[in-house]
Amino acid sequence: MTNNLHLGDFTSNASNSVTIPKYYGDALVKLGHEIPEIVVLTGDLSPATECDLFRDIFPDRFFTAGIAEANMVGISAGMARSGDIPFVHTFSVFLSRRSLDQIAMQVAYPNLNVKLCGFLPGLTTLLGVSHQAIEDNAIMRSLPNMALVEPCGARQIESAVRAASAYEGPVYLRLHRPSKPMSPAEKLLPLEIGKGQLIIEGTDAIIFAMGHMVDISIDAAKSLLPHGIKVAVANIHSLKPLDTNFILENSKLASVVVTAENHSIIGGLGSAVAETLLEGGLSRKFKRIGIEDTFAEGGSTEFLFNKYGLNSINIQNTIKRLINDGQ
Amino acid sequence: MTLKGIALMSNETNRISIEELKRNALEIRKNVVRMVARNGQGYVQQGLGAADIFTYLYFSEAQLDPKDSSWLERDRIFLSTAHNSALFHATLAQRGIISPESLLSYTNDGSALEINVSERLGSIVEATCGSLGQALSVAAGVSLTAKRNEKSYRSYVILGDGELQEGQTWEAAMFAASHHLNNLCLIIDLNSLQVEGHTDKVLKMEPIDKKFEAFGWNTIMVDGHNFSDLRDAFTSASNEIKKPTVLIAKTLVGKGCLSLEGQLSHNMILPQNVAIRALEELGERYD
Repeated sequence: MTNNLHLGDFTSNASNSVTIPKYYGDALVKLGHEIPEIVVLTGDLSPATECDLFRDIFPDRFFTAGIAEANMVGISAGMARSGDIPFVHTFSVFLSRRSLDQIAMQVAYPNLNVKLCGFLPGLTTLLGVSHQAIEDNAIMRSLPNMALVEPCGARQIESAVRAASAYEGPVYLRLHRPSKPMSPAEKLLPLEIGKGQLIIEGTDAIIFAMGHMVDISIDAAKSLLPHGIKVAVANIHSLKPLDTNFILENSKLASVVVTAENHSIIGGLGSAVAETLLEGGLSRKFKRIGIEDTFAEGGSTEFLFNKYGLNSINIQNTIKRLINDGQ
Repeated sequence: MTLKGIALMSNETNRISIEELKRNALEIRKNVVRMVARNGQGYVQQGLGAADIFTYLYFSEAQLDPKDSSWLERDRIFLSTAHNSALFHATLAQRGIISPESLLSYTNDGSALEINVSERLGSIVEATCGSLGQALSVAAGVSLTAKRNEKSYRSYVILGDGELQEGQTWEAAMFAASHHLNNLCLIIDLNSLQVEGHTDKVLKMEPIDKKFEAFGWNTIMVDGHNFSDLRDAFTSASNEIKKPTVLIAKTLVGKGCLSLEGQLSHNMILPQNVAIRALEELGERYD
């Protein structure tokens, strides 16, 4: 007798909950209706990357590559050369670590219209160091031709997918499945590749944040307001191309600049902002918040974010310290 | 396996004669020697060894428009062994796809005729390889979309035997069989030569045919210097209705130049006196 208990998947609570919509999967299906050239590849991770929704609607445009990421990237390149727009699905860590050469030579160098959709960014997985992509942004942004987009939560996922598909060329989409549904009060956020987005204005400090860290930075800014510290928060959903004018203009208005990313402090958003400020001739008290050049461990997202300093308190304390003594 | 029956069934009226193939292969070999000798760069042994395979593929097998290398219905030829570039460029020139004069710029700084074939040359280069073991995946992607769109063009991949040591080759082999890519044909240049010497001494790969059979491929062993055998083998590949085909083509490095034949040297330098002798053996004086 077949076991048909439907007990769910412990690695991915979001997929088992009827209350959390599949924001990414729904967006991909919508685009699938609009753009017949979109095809989908998966490395044995359809439910965890939500492309099972696309599979069920467009079975003829859905292809399983098995657990073989390097080959899957090569396949996508061949399909893109034949006029398809492949969306390639696996975890971020496997794209950036296992398939880097294939991405560089077969996707980025020929500038093909392939969308690399990586899930489980940074410390958002209990599966430990093997599954935690902590240097993917550093790797991907250093590839010529590659664009890098990370939406800041459920409210920006659809616009991120839409922007990636409209963009002519390779895009690394760094995606996270929300752990809770959007509240009715939340508004959808647009996303324009190559543009920064000011979410909160403030003159004492500015936080440039990405992905998961945007909401945490908003919380930090709101918590600092009663202390008389006005903190701006900017969403850098497009790490590449980077809106350097936006970063410079907004940094000029603040005396303290902080970056916040669910990624190593080396090579990602923090590095990109530092490069921009220095080359723009702008000197500010500055601190990168992110994973401090260390491997992490398996654990709940909340536990890991607190342990490794990706939380509101750490951002608040960092800003206070910078304002008070410049350290 | 007997291929005669299948070969007789196919329409060969449009195909070039074996004498013509031999004549073209000889001209290509001469250019390989001249090109490598000129700048002292390039892979002469591999070029001479695979010249017959390239000649058959570009002159008899593949549907190409020499005047329009981006023709949408063309067969796609992927050069996984991107370093076999003297041969590749010489073949393109002989086929009329690039100019014979362009061969003079081979490996010159700034030239699109690089020592590792690059798509800077144009759309005749279907993918930039050289990082070994990648082309079969890209070709499988092309074949997959061709089948879905009911296109008749086919994908061919020229793979060095040493590339069988790359894991990605086998990932792609599994994928191609699993997706029934009968429009995909892999040609293994079995020259037994890799950087560190004889492939058997570096890492044993035999039995290659049994491995591909186990992976679900139509597997054919062929003499890579016998145009008649190559014709039969390629005919079997195009008649295959379900599986991808691999031609395991035994070749001899340095083929055609007696003094070079069988010299297992991957990065062989070709000094003037050796080049002159090699050209004489091909029936040509070097000037």
